Amino acid sequence: MEELFERLAFSVKEVTGFIYPNEIELHWSILIVVYPYLTGLVAGAFILASLERVFNVKEVEPTYRLSLLTALAFLIVAPLPLVAHLGHPERAFEIFLTPNFRSAMAMFGFVYAWYLLVVLLVELWFEYRKDIVVWSKKEKGLKKVIYLILTLGASDLSEKSIQFDKKAGKLITIIGIPSAFLLHGYVGFIFGSVKANPWWSSVLMPVVFLFSAIVSGIALMILLYMVITLFRRKPVDMSCMDKLASFLLYAMILDFSLENLDFIHRIYESEESIKILYQLLISKLFISMVVIQILLGTIVPMVFLAWTKLARLPDELRRLIYFGSAILTLIGIFSIRWNVVIGGQLFSKSLRGLTTYKMELLGIEGLLVALLFLVLPFIILYILVALFPPWKEAEVELEA
Amino acid sequence: MPQQIKYLFGLAVVLVFIFLIVRHYLVSPSFGQYGHYRAASLQTVVSQEIKYGGEIACTECHEDILTLKNKSYHRGVACEVCHSAAYAHTQDPYEHKPPAPRTRAYCPLCHGYNPTRPTGFPQIDPVRHNPAKPCISCHNPHDPTPPVTPKECEPCHTEIARTKILSPHAPLPCTQCHEAKEEHKLNPRVALPSKPRNREFCGQCHSQEAESPPKILQAESPPEIPRVDMKSHYSGFLCWECHYPHYPEARLKKEEETE
Ligand code: HEC
Ligand code: HEC
Ligand code: HEC
Ligand code: HEC
Ligand code: HEC
Ligand code: HEC
Ligand code: HEC
Ligand code: HEC
Repeated sequence: MEELFERLAFSVKEVTGFIYPNEIELHWSILIVVYPYLTGLVAGAFILASLERVFNVKEVEPTYRLSLLTALAFLIVAPLPLVAHLGHPERAFEIFLTPNFRSAMAMFGFVYAWYLLVVLLVELWFEYRKDIVVWSKKEKGLKKVIYLILTLGASDLSEKSIQFDKKAGKLITIIGIPSAFLLHGYVGFIFGSVKANPWWSSVLMPVVFLFSAIVSGIALMILLYMVITLFRRKPVDMSCMDKLASFLLYAMILDFSLENLDFIHRIYESEESIKILYQLLISKLFISMVVIQILLGTIVPMVFLAWTKLARLPDELRRLIYFGSAILTLIGIFSIRWNVVIGGQLFSKSLRGLTTYKMELLGIEGLLVALLFLVLPFIILYILVALFPPWKEAEVELEA
Repeated sequence: MPQQIKYLFGLAVVLVFIFLIVRHYLVSPSFGQYGHYRAASLQTVVSQEIKYGGEIACTECHEDILTLKNKSYHRGVACEVCHSAAYAHTQDPYEHKPPAPRTRAYCPLCHGYNPTRPTGFPQIDPVRHNPAKPCISCHNPHDPTPPVTPKECEPCHTEIARTKILSPHAPLPCTQCHEAKEEHKLNPRVALPSKPRNREFCGQCHSQEAESPPKILQAESPPEIPRVDMKSHYSGFLCWECHYPHYPEARLKKEEETE
């Protein structure tokens, strides 16, 4: 109790203007920032992988399997921040047991389950089946058991069944693209449909979320690919990098235009909330929105990426620029999520006052837990990569 | 059918089957009886302790107060807002007595001046509004209509009146300094009242020679009037070139300066 009061006393001092008592403390903490960030990375990585499959972009092939594994690693962690945020995490499963089809929030479980079970796992299974079957014969000990279970008994390696794997994989990718759109568009929908909150309520929200997801997914893959090849002491495939960087640039241009459209639309509409939103922007969100999100997270990488397109730069410099831009973009997208989730709770429903967000360090909703959820996907990815090496060289070649 | 489909399909069927079994055991049998919730939870809610009686419960014994309040400005403020949760009192009025907020600090929670309150909401400055007396000595909390309605000069000169009432000159009626004919209230611009013209006017009360206390205020046990030396106190200027007559400040300024 005492501690609660202390926290409240701190926040009260930061309040400006008039604010209702239940708005002083934020209810959605940094964990809820991490959640859309993670699902965005999932959707982005998956959509990048689909590009290779559906549109036959050969250059990005080296990242295909890695993207799928990355999507899986992040997808496994994505719901954890939500569950940790709940006072009664064990009740989370009620949304499956007693589904409420009229609640958008309750539908998350189904969107998630569909995406995990029907799309990602099945696609990975078809993609890796041939390799798994071979490994299950070659490996020994625990690994053998794992692979054996994963074959699900389907050990047929005939030409016909390999051909079927390919076709099925393609079909699932085609189902997967709208599903990835659904997964992350859904998160935008949740925010966009809160009509009482003028910072969130916008039909563009799902679309903006989606494009920022694609941006973050591509940036993550650039970064992962470069770091992993560095550790594997392999040469970086520059044509793949150039292609990824182009995609990143185009996605960013689209994303930025959409965001500006949203912004101009709000200014033109000038609803009664515009004054407080302006206050919010120039005070509490100035650093995270204007400086980090727009300037460092969007404009700087866009300018640098455009530079690599316009001028002939040496490989070394291009790699450096790609690397830096990817990091800045990832930070930028994180601050987008921050500005949406935290920003949307900083102003009063009375539209007359602002509060502040005091992040905990140690608590269950604190910074450390959030960092844990950001690191966990990489650990899972490490294990996945060890089990299912995504490199070309590791792929099993079958003698016909 | 390809082998893959057979096994995947088999797995899916097994998973769905397990899910259905688990669901059967985990979902409470009363779920969905009335709606999308566990019907047995109603019992849990009902068995919770009741704290608030609700305004209608007060009617039974305090009908007079309720009738009075519901005709007053406070018709929108429920009894238990001021008297706190009183269910126990409705059950046993002598054993449990709800508190009544009699202190001056209480009412400004709602009525203290705050720029973010809606325009038009009655607000006062708790420091200056008739200080030192509890609010309820002038306002009946169940019918808080201000004890006097504006008359005489206030309806038209509200700002001056409201300013003066907070100032050291509050005890002086307007007509002390302005001679106003009845005609002025009907046809203001035709019959303008008089205004003080010279320093001597203020000297009636503030010069060192003035009688103490002045006749006009004798009836009401007047405060000690501060005096100045009319000759040396900034002679050559009219007093209201420096002191706003409807809100004269001098000692206030002095305090600020010495701070
Ligand atoms: C069953 C009759 C009854 C009901 C119902 C009832 N009261 Fe009373 N109330 C009394 C009586 C009797 C007294 C006088 C007790 C005394 O003076 O010892 C009283 C006194 C009070 C007092 C004055 C306490 C004091 O310190 O002088 C308040 C305030 C009060 N009631 C508020 C309420 C409110 C608010 C409600 C509705 C939630 C309510 N009452 C409902 C019977 C009732
Ligand atoms: C704005 C706040 C406020 C509201 C609303 C209010 N009261 Fe009171 N009430 C007071 C205060 C202050 C006193 C003390 C008055 C006094 O001591 O002169 C009081 C005194 C009383 C008393 C005891 C003295 C008396 O006048 O008999 C009763 C009984 C009472 N209230 C009942 C009620 C009931 C019933 C309601 C709802 C219809 C109600 N009050 C609503 C502030 C309020
Ligand atoms: C819970 C908030 C609340 C509390 C506490 C409260 N009031 Fe009020 N008061 C109101 C409301 C609401 C009105 C009606 C305003 C309106 O008509 O727009 C009002 C109206 C009034 C008015 C009428 C002003 C006018 O001329 O329009 C007076 C005087 C007043 N209250 C005095 C008091 C006093 C004295 C107390 C303390 C015993 C008190 N109030 C406690 C909410 C409150
Ligand atoms: C000495 C008697 C007295 C006391 C004590 C007193 N008031 Fe008043 N109050 C008045 C009078 C007279 C008026 C109407 C003239 C005016 O507006 O000043 C009034 C007006 C008001 C108004 C209406 C103001 C408006 O703009 O319509 C409110 C609200 C109010 N009082 C609240 C309070 C509160 C709260 C307290 C206690 C902190 C309090 N009063 C104490 C005499 C008093
Ligand atoms: C019907 C509304 C009304 C009432 C009631 C009223 N006045 Fe006036 N008063 C006016 C108007 C209108 C003016 C002219 C203002 C102007 O010309 O700028 C005025 C002007 C004045 C002036 C300024 C004269 C000048 O030469 O500048 C004084 C002093 C004055 N009134 C005092 C009083 C006094 C004292 C009372 C109460 C006995 C009173 N008034 C009642 C409406 C009214
Ligand atoms: C202490 C004496 C005194 C009292 C009491 C007084 N006045 Fe005045 N008033 C003056 C003086 C002096 C002036 C002239 C100021 C000037 O000429 O600049 C004046 C000017 C005015 C004016 C015209 C200038 C202006 O400020 O708008 C009006 C109207 C007025 N008074 C109204 C009133 C009303 C209404 C009251 C009562 C609520 C009142 N006065 C009480 C001394 C007083
Ligand atoms: C009818 C007598 C009377 C007249 C005429 C009068 N005053 Fe006052 N004056 C008072 C009273 C009473 C006080 C308040 C003393 C107190 O509250 O301690 C006062 C207080 C003051 C104060 C001190 C304010 C403070 O900060 O405490 C000043 C300055 C003042 N009057 C200026 C004037 C001026 C200027 C005039 C001429 C326009 C004037 N008075 C006319 C009675 C009068
Ligand atoms: C040039 C500006 C000026 C003029 C004109 C002026 N005063 Fe003052 N008066 C002041 C200042 C400044 C103070 C406070 C500091 C001080 O005592 O000198 C003051 C203080 C006072 C006080 C409070 C004294 C105390 O002991 O607290 C009274 C009463 C007063 N003046 C009345 C008058 C009267 C009556 C007139 C017209 C005859 C007048 N003043 C003219 C500037 C002025």
